[in-house]
Amino acid sequence: MAGDKGLKKYFWVLFFILPSLLGKLIFTVFPMLTSLGLTMFEWDLLTTPEFVGFENFKYLFTNPTFWQSLLHTLYFIVGYVPIVIVLGFGVALLLNQKIKGRSFSRAAFFTPVISSWVAVSLLWMWIFSPKYGILNYLLGLFSITGPNWLYDTQWAMPAIIITSIWKDIGYIMIMYIAGLQNIPDEYYEAAALDGAGRWQKLIHITFPMLSPTTFFALMISLINSFQVFDQVWIMTQGGPANSTTTLVQQIVMNATRYGRYGYAAAISWILFLIIFGFTVLQNHLQKRWVFYE
Amino acid sequence: MIRKKANLRITRKTILYIMLIISSSTMIMPFVWMISTSLKTTQYTLSIPIQLLPDKVTLEGYKRLFEISSFGRMFSNSFLVAIITTIGQLLISSMAAYAFARIKFRGSDLLFLLYLATMMIPSQVTVTPLFILMRYFGWLDTYQGLIVPGLFRAFGVFLMRQSFLSLPRELEEAAYIDGANRLVIFIRVVLPLSKPVLITQGLMAFMDSWNSYLWPLFVTSKAEMFTLPLGLANLQGQYLTEWNVVMAGTVLSIIPMLCIYIVAQKYLIKGFVTSGLKG
Amino acid sequence: MKKRLSISIVSIVILFTVLLSACQPAASTTIEQETLADTTEEQDIEEEVAEQVTITYATFSANAGHEEDLASLVAEFEATHPNIKVETQIVAFDDYFNKLQTMIAGDVAPDTYELNYENFVSYAEKGLLLDTTVLASNDASSDVGIFYPRALEAFQLDGMQLALPETFSTVVLFYNKDLFDAAGFSYPTADWTWNDVLVAAQAINDPENGVYGFYSPLQFNEFYKKAAQNNCSFFNEDKTETLINSPECVEALQTMSDFVNVYNVMPSEADLGGSSNSDLFLAGKIAMDVTGIWMFSSFADAPFAWDIEIEPGMATHATHFFANGAGISSTSEHPQESWEWIKFITSSPEVANLRVEKGWELPALSDPDYFTAYLEQTPPDNRQAVFDSLNYAIVPPVISRQSEMQDIIGNFLSQVDLGTLTPQEALDQAKVQVDELLK
Repeated sequence: MAGDKGLKKYFWVLFFILPSLLGKLIFTVFPMLTSLGLTMFEWDLLTTPEFVGFENFKYLFTNPTFWQSLLHTLYFIVGYVPIVIVLGFGVALLLNQKIKGRSFSRAAFFTPVISSWVAVSLLWMWIFSPKYGILNYLLGLFSITGPNWLYDTQWAMPAIIITSIWKDIGYIMIMYIAGLQNIPDEYYEAAALDGAGRWQKLIHITFPMLSPTTFFALMISLINSFQVFDQVWIMTQGGPANSTTTLVQQIVMNATRYGRYGYAAAISWILFLIIFGFTVLQNHLQKRWVFYE
Repeated sequence: MIRKKANLRITRKTILYIMLIISSSTMIMPFVWMISTSLKTTQYTLSIPIQLLPDKVTLEGYKRLFEISSFGRMFSNSFLVAIITTIGQLLISSMAAYAFARIKFRGSDLLFLLYLATMMIPSQVTVTPLFILMRYFGWLDTYQGLIVPGLFRAFGVFLMRQSFLSLPRELEEAAYIDGANRLVIFIRVVLPLSKPVLITQGLMAFMDSWNSYLWPLFVTSKAEMFTLPLGLANLQGQYLTEWNVVMAGTVLSIIPMLCIYIVAQKYLIKGFVTSGLKG
Repeated sequence: MKKRLSISIVSIVILFTVLLSACQPAASTTIEQETLADTTEEQDIEEEVAEQVTITYATFSANAGHEEDLASLVAEFEATHPNIKVETQIVAFDDYFNKLQTMIAGDVAPDTYELNYENFVSYAEKGLLLDTTVLASNDASSDVGIFYPRALEAFQLDGMQLALPETFSTVVLFYNKDLFDAAGFSYPTADWTWNDVLVAAQAINDPENGVYGFYSPLQFNEFYKKAAQNNCSFFNEDKTETLINSPECVEALQTMSDFVNVYNVMPSEADLGGSSNSDLFLAGKIAMDVTGIWMFSSFADAPFAWDIEIEPGMATHATHFFANGAGISSTSEHPQESWEWIKFITSSPEVANLRVEKGWELPALSDPDYFTAYLEQTPPDNRQAVFDSLNYAIVPPVISRQSEMQDIIGNFLSQVDLGTLTPQEALDQAKVQVDELLK
């Protein structure tokens, strides 16, 4: 806003940001920094922490399980993020049009989002059940023998990815629906007057106007999927034979089961660096394709 | 020629409707299955092969739910915590988002990156130091212990900043010229224009708080402070679980979320927003 | 106007939160509240004024329907110990130890808490539990002889009694009598070996109808037991090395995996596909199921006749001995009252009778009278097998990095189940990783 300078501007900055910032410093940053400090210790929570310097990091880089879990996490991201965003966008577009029953459909798509992972996993574990599940049954109708899905080292992660996409489409959908509301009708009307067809309207109006939302959806999906844990834990516990274990699962197991909180913190901070790197990259690239008014 | 086009439109629409019906039904399938399992008898809740519809419809799952857990108490705890968290988050996050979106100050990008950074550490690791902090505040087994740490999520700030950034500036500038200060502009111009994102964020904040499990697990030990997810977890024994009871609890805990969503959806309609721009 | 509105909203929210925190019962981060009890004034001037003490008790076995049972026990205890109040903290088993260790890290450990045997060892070794020997010797009414000796020993370390045994359970062979009758096969007996099981399983196995002869999962708990049945010891004398790839252990694992991969009389994890073996047993799809006695109540209404027998052996019998104990935190400020409580919850007649009556685990007491009622309940008829199993009971192999060892071995066992590794290969590789843990 033009005209705001100096002290007056900083007064307003403080006024608006302080509650959030202060709370964040106390309740988020402080615990984060504590965990950073603890990466140099070995701590089972039951006795006093023991200083070990960089041992945890040394162990991390030489531990094949860490690299496996990193690989699996990346596999999950590559399979999940693009598809969930594209599908979420498509559904939002579809359900933004004047179709009968769109309110019901929107609510239907949102139901998996608010369901707990326990219920969703139970259902999908049945769907993927090699012998009794409906998926292999349907495949059988087309003379295809379905794989053992969650019990097959090759197919377990795809199964988890499919389940995750299914659950989160509604989440992306409502973000895009909110974004679509912000596009004034006039833009479309003007374009129509200029002779623009449906496809052109999509590319020249909808996409650019939604780019902040897409940026947001991409960022959030990326940050969240690097930390994927709940569904993997419930559906396969990282199995079969460690083929689906993720970084956060390693963190949780080391912190809670193995009594190695320091090592778990070390993994967390390496993960942090990876996510941070990706985010900075994405932030930088946004200047190229994200369009703000 | 016109007839062909019309036919094409009809087939396209029919395909669309069919896809919609199929996808919507798969989406609500877990909910349907949850309801149906909650109405089954204790014994054959997970029979082989899985039955979508109960053999015998009974309410014994629900009865038992209220017998073995203080469901009502946990429900109101969850509700209280979620409502206050949502309102608090909306206020705190929208204000911060406004500053990031509309005030150009030095270090704004860096500070925002810091905000994003706080989302990049898994909560399972920060929960231990946070617990010890709460212990020293004396906030264990209290409502403030349940609520306050969750008020400062960066997610809302991020979401709303994106939204504020894409609002046309004309209205705000006009108000500024009319002599309004930033707070007035925020309340009278920006917030009303942002109803969709506020509702979306409110929805997500409520949902996160409602389903939150790990933090309430650590910060509460007394049964009367438990929230719903804790209660649901306690329905599962070390070896045995009565799934119809668990599903009954799960169904009941989803209903408020669904209601809030249905109510919120009404306000996500287009006309509500653009009216401001036509002025 | 709107400005005032939003400011008032903010103030209301803040006010509301403050009020709420003021209204709810005084939350204590310290473990006890000491208030002077108001007894009838005149007479008690010469007597000591009773000190009201509150102790906490954390448990994982009192959920899923047993909350009421625990509450009634607490009420009975408080009635006979008017100066002690017990606050229970019930946490689901999966998160129990996570929460417990976080509380200990935050210096708010419960006064008393439940532990299973596997976790007891590490808590004991780290000095987190109070030695109750002194408390017991000062207590005229305490008699450790009432405990089942095996259970009592399990919770000792270096001559210190660091917890009292609360309950025990074991794993037996369940069999579907109807399926046996249909195949014309005679029922399992106490001296069966796995070979006998194989023959029976092959006779009853009916792939067309989805019926399997047998099930015993390829996981850590089952493996160490089968290894013991074949006289294979898990570790060498001074626990510097594991011996799990020795011929006896490999043979034990081979026997287990052959059921799945060679003879096809047992479902693999993929075949189970998310259902549990108990569900399949209840549906009449498994003729012989090796699982715990805690399943008695679930199977009670099965639509077929069934019974149990001691788990078959190889060179010898070996059976599980799972035990839960109740210990006092070494940081508790009320050791005496805590002692009263753990005595009560582990050995009082009220507790023992309630447990048997409600099928809520078995008290670890040596007096056979408690179990008469238990033995009379049916099904199964052969409940005596539960106690006979105790003659062959073994404790799990425990090291300080227990969970890691369990997960490593579990990982390799599942590869055997999948068929991607042979038992020899799996155990050779597992040994390498487990030996690392022993360093």
